[in-house]
Amino acid sequence: MAKLHKKGKSGAAVNYITRNQALKKLQVTLADFRRLCILKGIYPREPKNKKKANKGSSAPATFYYSKDIQYLMHEPILGKFREYKTFAKKMAKVMSKGQYSTAKSLAENKPIYTLDHVIKERYPTFTDALRDLDDCLCMIFLFATMPKTDKIKAETVENCQRLAAEFQHYVLHTRSLRKVFLSIKGIYYQAEIKGQTITWLVPYQFSQDVPTDVDFRVMLTFLEFYQTLSGFVNYKLYSDVNLVYPPKLDLKLDEGGAGMNALIIESTQSTANIAQSINSSVAQPTSSTAASLSKEEKKRLEESEKRLRTLTNKIARIQESNGTDQASAESSTNDNDDAMDEFPTPLPNLDGTSSSTVTFSDIQRASQHLSQFQSLFSNCYVYLSREVPRYSLEFVLRACGSHVGWDPVLGEGSPFDENDERITHQISDRPTQGHRFLSRQYIQPQWVYDSINAGKILTTEPYHVGRTLPPHLSPFVEAKDGDYVPDANQFEGQTEDLEIQSDDEEEDEDEDEDEDEEEDEEEEEDAEHKDLHQRELEAEAKGVAFTEFEAKESKKKAKASKAEKETAATPAAAVTRSAAGKKRTAAEVEAAEAKELAKIMMTNKQQKLYNKIQYGKDKKAAEVEKLTKKKVELANTAAKSNKKAKK
Amino acid sequence: MPTTRPTKKAVAPASTAKARPAATKKTIASEPKSRKRTVQEAQRDSDDDEFGDVAIDMASDDEDMDGDVEDDDEDDEVDAFPEEEGQDMSAADLEDDNDEEEDSEGSYMDGDSIVDSQEENEGDEAEEDDIESDFGDLEDDIDPNFGHNLNEPRPVESDYNPIKREYPEIDPEYDSDSSTEENENTVGNIPMHWYDDYPHIGYDIHGKKVMKPATGDELDKFLSTMDDPDSWLSAHNFKEGQDVKLTAEELEIIRRLEGNRIPDADYNPYEDQVEFFTSKTEIMPLSAAPEPKRRFIPSKHEAKRIMKIVRAIREGRIVPRKSGHVPPKPKYYNLWNDAEDKPREEHVMHITAPKMKLPTHDESYNPPAEYLPTEEEIKEWNDMDKEDRPKNYLPQKYNALRNVPGYGQFIQERFERCLDLYLAPRVRKNRLNIDPESLIPKLPSPRDLQPFPTRLAVEYLGHEGRVRSVSVDPSGLWLASGSDDKTVRVWEVATGRCMKTYHLDELVTSVVWGPSKEVAVLAVTCGYKVGLILPEKIFSPELTLHSEEYLKAGFANSATSEVNPKATWKQPTPAEFEQGIRVWVHLQKPVKQVTWHRKGDYFATVAPDANNSAVLIHQLTKHQTQQPFKKTKGAVQRVMFHPTKPMFFVATQRYVRQYNLQRQELVKTMMTGVKWISSLDVHPAGDNLIIGSYDKRLCWFDLDLSSKPYKTLRYHQQAIRSVAYHKRYPLFASCADDGNVQIFHGMVYNDLLQNPLIVPVKILKNVHERIDALGALCVEWHPTQPWLISSGADHTIKLFS
Repeated sequence: MAKLHKKGKSGAAVNYITRNQALKKLQVTLADFRRLCILKGIYPREPKNKKKANKGSSAPATFYYSKDIQYLMHEPILGKFREYKTFAKKMAKVMSKGQYSTAKSLAENKPIYTLDHVIKERYPTFTDALRDLDDCLCMIFLFATMPKTDKIKAETVENCQRLAAEFQHYVLHTRSLRKVFLSIKGIYYQAEIKGQTITWLVPYQFSQDVPTDVDFRVMLTFLEFYQTLSGFVNYKLYSDVNLVYPPKLDLKLDEGGAGMNALIIESTQSTANIAQSINSSVAQPTSSTAASLSKEEKKRLEESEKRLRTLTNKIARIQESNGTDQASAESSTNDNDDAMDEFPTPLPNLDGTSSSTVTFSDIQRASQHLSQFQSLFSNCYVYLSREVPRYSLEFVLRACGSHVGWDPVLGEGSPFDENDERITHQISDRPTQGHRFLSRQYIQPQWVYDSINAGKILTTEPYHVGRTLPPHLSPFVEAKDGDYVPDANQFEGQTEDLEIQSDDEEEDEDEDEDEDEEEDEEEEEDAEHKDLHQRELEAEAKGVAFTEFEAKESKKKAKASKAEKETAATPAAAVTRSAAGKKRTAAEVEAAEAKELAKIMMTNKQQKLYNKIQYGKDKKAAEVEKLTKKKVELANTAAKSNKKAKK
Repeated sequence: MPTTRPTKKAVAPASTAKARPAATKKTIASEPKSRKRTVQEAQRDSDDDEFGDVAIDMASDDEDMDGDVEDDDEDDEVDAFPEEEGQDMSAADLEDDNDEEEDSEGSYMDGDSIVDSQEENEGDEAEEDDIESDFGDLEDDIDPNFGHNLNEPRPVESDYNPIKREYPEIDPEYDSDSSTEENENTVGNIPMHWYDDYPHIGYDIHGKKVMKPATGDELDKFLSTMDDPDSWLSAHNFKEGQDVKLTAEELEIIRRLEGNRIPDADYNPYEDQVEFFTSKTEIMPLSAAPEPKRRFIPSKHEAKRIMKIVRAIREGRIVPRKSGHVPPKPKYYNLWNDAEDKPREEHVMHITAPKMKLPTHDESYNPPAEYLPTEEEIKEWNDMDKEDRPKNYLPQKYNALRNVPGYGQFIQERFERCLDLYLAPRVRKNRLNIDPESLIPKLPSPRDLQPFPTRLAVEYLGHEGRVRSVSVDPSGLWLASGSDDKTVRVWEVATGRCMKTYHLDELVTSVVWGPSKEVAVLAVTCGYKVGLILPEKIFSPELTLHSEEYLKAGFANSATSEVNPKATWKQPTPAEFEQGIRVWVHLQKPVKQVTWHRKGDYFATVAPDANNSAVLIHQLTKHQTQQPFKKTKGAVQRVMFHPTKPMFFVATQRYVRQYNLQRQELVKTMMTGVKWISSLDVHPAGDNLIIGSYDKRLCWFDLDLSSKPYKTLRYHQQAIRSVAYHKRYPLFASCADDGNVQIFHGMVYNDLLQNPLIVPVKILKNVHERIDALGALCVEWHPTQPWLISSGADHTIKLFS
């Protein structure tokens, strides 16, 4: 006979535990339990069958995973909570008796818990920690702008400010900022660190009015954890790029409102380190002659390249060290940190593999793009007027290689003043600009953000002071087919040639770059043809049949052409097309009819599912239609008003 | 009474007991002896007393006089004496024998000690041993120990109780409670009326009965009270059963109690407080003991405790107070080691928190104009509950960055996110990422399943009411139709020409051509009657003639046959005959449907209102009517003859039943699963049938397969009115109130293992206009061609080819 299964001894009944049961088991108060949950990252679950999980009762209950609770039972923090409880009792007793010396010694031995182990436990690898950094940064950046209240301590705010500044410095240093977006809620930043995209939101710097309907105990518990996490992450990030952590704080600058710049970033590099890296980098490429196509190999290849890259930089830096002044040294050393060196003649050992590896040129191209992006503003000297948000613009500009100076009102530590002749752009946000230097352009802040999102320097003309700005679009939206694509910025295609009078050499460089770009484009076209062949080969390697491959290719092409058409079509054209859509061809009619007939034979389940999917699609389509319609209407009214104005 | 006495008196009996050990010693367990002895003692005692008289009341007199404790006690004893005597008197008969025996022995000696008497008893028993050998063994066992265990109860023989335990006398010096000594009655605090019916009123400490004192009658009592001047000072002691004169002290106590005063006159409730610790410092200390040595030497206990701490510090269990100069542990350090760290294994129960949604274009501070909400949208958004809003912000446009204000809900939103992270239950949900088109089944192309009707070919116009029913004659040339305008029309199929119009007096619900090619007859239902019409001049003369005779034949037969009251066969009026009507069958209820047997002799009618005679089968040639069912289960909707076998299908509201007409039994019941069947058709091969229902469903039954539908299809938007199989082609059609007609390819294979193939091939949309919620009412296939004829509520009949 098969083993009898007792009810309630396996499956959901034992997998889940209700919150009250958990409280009883752990013998903690609800408040302590919540804190534990926050710190340990334990969250309720939704069992598939609540009745089974709740021993047959269908009463509403919060369920936790039983093992989570089991692990909590021997959590050091829980012990510390209990110790703290007794400590508080002792303290109260002693204080009521007026035994202050005892109280003092008690206070010195106050139980303090640390969260190090929790962080290691929740994020076993550094990548895990980075993946979960979004919420952490949002919180840190929020509390960095919070006023001190009875609940929020001044030290907490200060610590948050420091952690935020440290992280920003890292992003600056490694030039890992990718996207920026000015929203009504605040400024979104997206950085790419070790392959992870990290997005965080920073509120506009106004004094936050602290709401009353928010439970700050919860927020502060989260913040407590996030502070620790952010500290450890910063440590790891800094030590990975050979910087001293924690960076020292320049008190004078800090008091002067220098903000982020008050931190003194120091490098830990020594010659010994470099020698080591040389050895390793030499060793690496030779080992990769095996020319296997596995992903690991590729990764290693990348790594070695990176090392090589940094190596040359380092050497160059050592050679030109001591020459530059301290103020600009910091930024200049970081200039081409991650920029990829060009290999006019690829390394001989890699050459042999190039016929079969597509990836190398791809990687090269991608990294080239990246390095271009990272040094987007490297030829710019940008001056910030006093009405623009320095906290954001300085960060964003410097993260793309610009030199930034600012009005003394915005804080101390500006590397150059308004009269500096090197300044190419002045960012100001006022209706009219009074005094103008002819050598520079006066532009609105949005230009910076749009340029970064576009990945190239846009023409400044539409962004000049006093102009109506073009719409600012979210860089996070990836339009799929069927989505509404707002009018792409008409200026996006135009890049700006920077006129830099001071350095001829730089100009030459620029020209070179331009040429490079052109070449790139040509290359891309060539590459497309080449790519086809290579992709075929790849597909063969994967074992995809040729016919399938062909079909895929044709699909891709069709999609591409469709996309092109869609982008080319103006809304008006879209309208005419939809009108034309009413006159369908016979084949279309037949197909539609066949579909309708086939739907009859669908099972009930299929029908429901189909309808559900279709509902979502229709909703989306309706949204798109609404937007296009609105746009057409707006265009019409605009045209009418224009005509009227002309008359 | 004694309880109310002052306590100092209660102590007294002990001293008296000590004073007179002999007196109590003499109370012996052995009943006859002790009695005698007490009598003697009492006598001696009384001799000692001033009064030789032993009257009860008298005895109390001297108590008052001397007030001596000892005397008091003796009084009690004296009181007890007469009881003994009373008992003696009553129990005299019982004990006489014993006394005599003892007397005859002559061993009794006055004033002997207990031991002596017991020895004597031993001797007695030795003699008894001889007399009664029964107890010999027992006596032998006891003998050797006897001298040592004096306190052991000894069995004593008496005439009514063979073995009686004799208890040793209680020595008052050791274990007797002196307080109970003079209190002879030991019954305790019980209601004394329990002893009303007995001669005694309780037991003394030795377990002997305390006899009731002799009381005279009421007159004696009265006299005694009159004689005794102190009678008013005495109280009745129920325990003793006699009056006790109260002492002066007792009377005083009573007086005080009545006056709500403390009973003891000497008691001072307000005595001066005795201070244990006074405020005054005494010159001499309470204790003159010198300071102990321990005050001058170090405490060992303290040393132990300190050493414990010292040891703990040495071992590092206790960390001494941190001194300021020790650098604190670094707050942050390298927590991760890339080489060694292993990523967490994927586990089903580990669900990472979803990331925040990334902002879209409309969140921009300067979005494209089309994203800005209109005023209605703003109002709608404001009116909505916070939880219902699709997005928690309204798109807004600022023309410069300097105009952008702080976001008011920033902290709240972050807080909500925090709550989501630790309070929201997480569940893994698999997003179905499938192409909806893949759900649509692949069907053979309709083009491969031709022929089927696709387009309108002929329209038959002329009716002025809903056309309820259409039928094509077996030759396929003529079409008959019945309508709500109370006419039946016969049309030429090919041209749409109306050949004949029959005006009837009721709505025509059903029109069916006879199936036989030899007989041209049209069955028509019209109100309560069914008419059989022979359309003239459209058929060949031979056929017409043959039909005429066929129809006439019945009347000849009907004269002989018995008349069924449910249906009467009648001749038409001459005018009607002129029109072409040949026979009328009058029924009791309105007829809704008529259907022919395949041979054309029988036809069945359905009159749903006529309970058990709802279904009737009529024979044309004999003008006979049968009622096949005695009882019908449910309201009959449709009936149908099996195309090949002697079977009959009856569709009630929810079930279809198949009956064998020959064997007259139910073959099968089909569970349709629909709410209300509207129509029924049987496949020409006879193994499949379809039903249409008012709840928009069409069910296909494979009769060999199951009693449940093989396929249930729901594609009409409104109630299905009619379904029909084609006689030759694998086609079937349905029409519904939505005005649509659906055509299916329904292939039935000869192979039993192969399921029928059902493929929808054509939807004829809006064939008939919807009038009063009615659309297409009837569909009928052409008998030979793949043509479909449909009629509808818009008064038209249409032919599709």
